Amino acid sequence: MGRLVARRLGAMILVLLFLVVVVFSLQHLSPTDPVHSFLGANASKAAVKVESHKLGYDRPLPVQYLRYVGDLLHGNLQMSLRTRRPVATDLRHYLPATAELAIFSLALAGILGAVLGVTTAARFKGAGVFRVLTLSGASAPQFLLAELGILLFYRHLHWLPATGRSSLANPPSGPTGFLTIDTLVHGNLHGFTDAFGHLILPGLCIAMIPAVSIGRVLRSSLVSTMRTDYVRTARAKGLREVVVLWRHALRNSIGPALSMGGLQVGLMFAGVVVIEQIFAWPGIGLYTYQSIPRSDFPAIAGITLVLGAGYVIVNTIVDVLQAIADPRIAL
Amino acid sequence: MAVAEPYLPPSTGTLRSRVYVRVKRRRRSHAAVLDRIAIGLLAALTLMAFVTPLLAPFKPNLIAGDSFSHPGARFLLGTDEVGRDIFSRVLFGLRASWFASLEVIASGVIIGGLIGLVAGTAGGWIDDVLMRITDVFLALPGPILAIAVVAALGPSLQHTLIAVAIVWWPFYARIVRGEVKSLAARPHVEAARLAGVGRIRLAVRHLLPGAIPATVVTASLDVGNLVLTLAILSFLGLGAPSPAPELGAMVARGLTYLLQEWWVPIMPGLAVMFLAFVANLAGDGARDLLGVA
Repeated sequence: MGRLVARRLGAMILVLLFLVVVVFSLQHLSPTDPVHSFLGANASKAAVKVESHKLGYDRPLPVQYLRYVGDLLHGNLQMSLRTRRPVATDLRHYLPATAELAIFSLALAGILGAVLGVTTAARFKGAGVFRVLTLSGASAPQFLLAELGILLFYRHLHWLPATGRSSLANPPSGPTGFLTIDTLVHGNLHGFTDAFGHLILPGLCIAMIPAVSIGRVLRSSLVSTMRTDYVRTARAKGLREVVVLWRHALRNSIGPALSMGGLQVGLMFAGVVVIEQIFAWPGIGLYTYQSIPRSDFPAIAGITLVLGAGYVIVNTIVDVLQAIADPRIAL
Repeated sequence: MAVAEPYLPPSTGTLRSRVYVRVKRRRRSHAAVLDRIAIGLLAALTLMAFVTPLLAPFKPNLIAGDSFSHPGARFLLGTDEVGRDIFSRVLFGLRASWFASLEVIASGVIIGGLIGLVAGTAGGWIDDVLMRITDVFLALPGPILAIAVVAALGPSLQHTLIAVAIVWWPFYARIVRGEVKSLAARPHVEAARLAGVGRIRLAVRHLLPGAIPATVVTASLDVGNLVLTLAILSFLGLGAPSPAPELGAMVARGLTYLLQEWWVPIMPGLAVMFLAFVANLAGDGARDLLGVA
């Protein structure tokens, strides 16, 4: 197990370095001159020269790259062309909201996917209906779910809020930045239910597609596990079906579902960007949405690095979890 | 319980005989009917996409009536904030999405297939290098990378297609390489090699055809995801510029009217779902018929 973890961590660092190379090259492929967009179209030549020296854009490429990596290691992600603040500062400001939403959605996707997979693994009537339902779940774009959710649960039923993270005038600002945890730390139960209510609708919209994919993969691997000899033995011992499923079959079937979950995180992150804009969620997605039309590439680069790193880390964790569920993988 | 099936030989042999066997085996099941409906719908959609200008009752970018007309007899899906017919715009949007998805899938299959074929047949260090590159690409989140690429190149439909194609090929490289590797040990390939067939001919005539079923199935299961990814990019303003009838962008611009004139943002969203759904269902059908994985 220890060797597997070490190997995965090594691979993770290599992939992260590659990500930096990709982002750096994109920055230099970009036709927009960052200094010009920073100063505005009417900036004088002298001002452009001074500014590009200040921002380091006049050095040779390899030097710029080394500086870029060095800066990254110090947590420095250049200046945003739009907000005129360091990108790292902006990201630190927006990250907790996105992390809270993403972790909540991931957990929701896992739970819904497991329920879907396990309950439908048994053969039953109406498999065709089930297929159509899951396929529609997998085909519903996040923005459509968000619209329908807002119309139904906000406008029609008045059950759930549709904008922001909280309706408190002064939500607590520490220590974690996760409103659901911070309100609990401060003993503010009303604030907690409020923050949690704000999470549900956006979380569900993001979780739907991954949940369905996880459920489908889990279902098919469970179905094939349930046909194996050892499951027949377990049944022959007189174990109840539930025990057979949970104690014996699930552990051997969960690997493909886990890796599917890891892969889905990429599309999930893109969904986060869309959902945050619709629900006015003050996170990285909203930051992305605002940075795109202004061609704020330093900001986009920072976002790509953070979300890309998140994806790589989640998938490394998934690899290790798979080995825990099925130790044969670590061999 | 499984229904007793007539005995048919296991699926080996050519692609055509394989499909034939599968079709025969599944002729009577409900799933087969669903598959056929889906594939038929997809064919109809493709056909419609070609003749959209003839089908649309109004020009997509011209004002056709009052703004915010309810969906009804004259305007099937209502009109938007400036009075354009949403039905016509959705038709054109569907066409754009569908063609864009096909283009990206095709380029992904061609680029990935070529790399996979070279890696699989060459072996040795070429294989190692190509597959390491593929692996690091696979280890990164495609949609996020695509957003970064378009943002760097500047938002336009063409750049979006290039960006998504860049992140979409590695998967196909892996699949084609895997198939080619497993085929290389088969007797017919060895026989060809002994007969003195050259490397390139061996790859193209004897290895590539064997990799086609798995690739086709993967591609058809993939189209639905691709439709959604492209819609997300369009929603984020990374597609064609403003008046163009693009489904994702129509949703994004219509969001302001969600609580009163709900049909403006909902209809294009439903169209995306319809397209992705038909593509997913047909992809499932293709997998069942070709009997891979």
